[in-house]
Amino acid sequence: MMLSALLLRKSEYQQLQAILAKTQKDLGADLVILIDRAGHEIASEGQGLTLDHTALASLAAANLAATQELARLVGETEFSIIYHQGRHRSIHISDVARKYSLVLIFEDSVSMGMVRWKVKRAATLLEEILQESRERKPTREPGVSAAPSFTDAEIDRLMRHLSPIADVEGKV
Amino acid sequence: MTFINYVAHEINCKIVYYGPGLGGKTTNLKYVYGITSPENRGKMISLATETERTLFFDFLPIDLGQIRGYSTRFHLYTVPGQVFYDASRKLILRGVDGVVFVADSQEERMDANFESLSNLEQNLKEHGFDLYKIPYVLQLNKRDLPNILPADKLQKMLRIKGEPVFEAVATQGIGVLEALKAVTRQVLVALRKTA
Ligand SMILES: Nc1nc2c(ncn2[C@@H]2O[C@H](COP(=O)(O)OP(=O)(O)O)[C@@H](O)[C@H]2O)c(=O)[nH]1
Repeated sequence: MMLSALLLRKSEYQQLQAILAKTQKDLGADLVILIDRAGHEIASEGQGLTLDHTALASLAAANLAATQELARLVGETEFSIIYHQGRHRSIHISDVARKYSLVLIFEDSVSMGMVRWKVKRAATLLEEILQESRERKPTREPGVSAAPSFTDAEIDRLMRHLSPIADVEGKV
Repeated sequence: MTFINYVAHEINCKIVYYGPGLGGKTTNLKYVYGITSPENRGKMISLATETERTLFFDFLPIDLGQIRGYSTRFHLYTVPGQVFYDASRKLILRGVDGVVFVADSQEERMDANFESLSNLEQNLKEHGFDLYKIPYVLQLNKRDLPNILPADKLQKMLRIKGEPVFEAVATQGIGVLEALKAVTRQVLVALRKTA
């Protein structure tokens, strides 16, 4: 399962970022965030809104997963968008390549047709980049770093962070 | 799915606490939350019923600090333990990197432990994961209660592949960090194999 680790090149990351930036700007969205199915943020764009990206990513991933499972229950296979319209803000969550999701937060003045159109376009572009990166074998290509191979000593050192606060502060 | 961001130098992993209902999964997360300094943890989210039973999941993101210049983010999830929430439970295993199985040491919960273990194996399989290959630790919880089975007996019954086993009293934080460290270590070691 580790083989599914997503290995992005710097140039690809910048391309993803550019697509998000364009989508954000075109829609005047508060926030555009690309997440994976495990609920991790991959990239985001939009400074207007300070909110907890980690919580948002986790809930959005779970929400989409639940919605897709509901769809399957009723025999729908293509049911890949969630749209919550709030009084001031709306949330739009859509599927990208069945492995990622694009989450948008925008004010209710934005037209839904426009949102759908821009999101579809962005999803297609994002999919191309993510697809290419997934198909790549980690170590075969120059310019692509392999997953880091940590030594036992490095892992031990990291594990020391995981101790009761009192132990750390109390100079054990 | 481990997400390694080479640009931002971040490693993101997902750890799921699995096990029978009321075994102490949420208690594990609460303890970790309690001992982590605020700058190293995010908000803990609990999607629970009115009676505080986990309905969908509990979620706690923690930062473990740096390893060779990478920040490490671990996302901890619990699943709802009750049998009838199986559909939700399955969803939480999406993209999992490691599992802590929280077993209830009480004799009368043995059937529930087995049922949950078997359910874990099945649900992992549906996501294309193999219980015998995934980073995994076994926690024998509630060691403080009177009606428990001896640890060696429990271990014989519940241990599946030589995984690390920890006796725990999650309410007192005993065996909680040990289990988390052990699974985290396995996840980081497993990354080597992709290298
Ligand atoms: N005596 C004792 N009670 C525990 C222990 N761990 C959890 N509990 C209690 O068991 C109940 C269920 O725990 P919870 O974490 O909600 O279980 P979950 O359903 O697996 O998430 C709660 O009342 C906890 O306080 C333990 O190690 N010893």
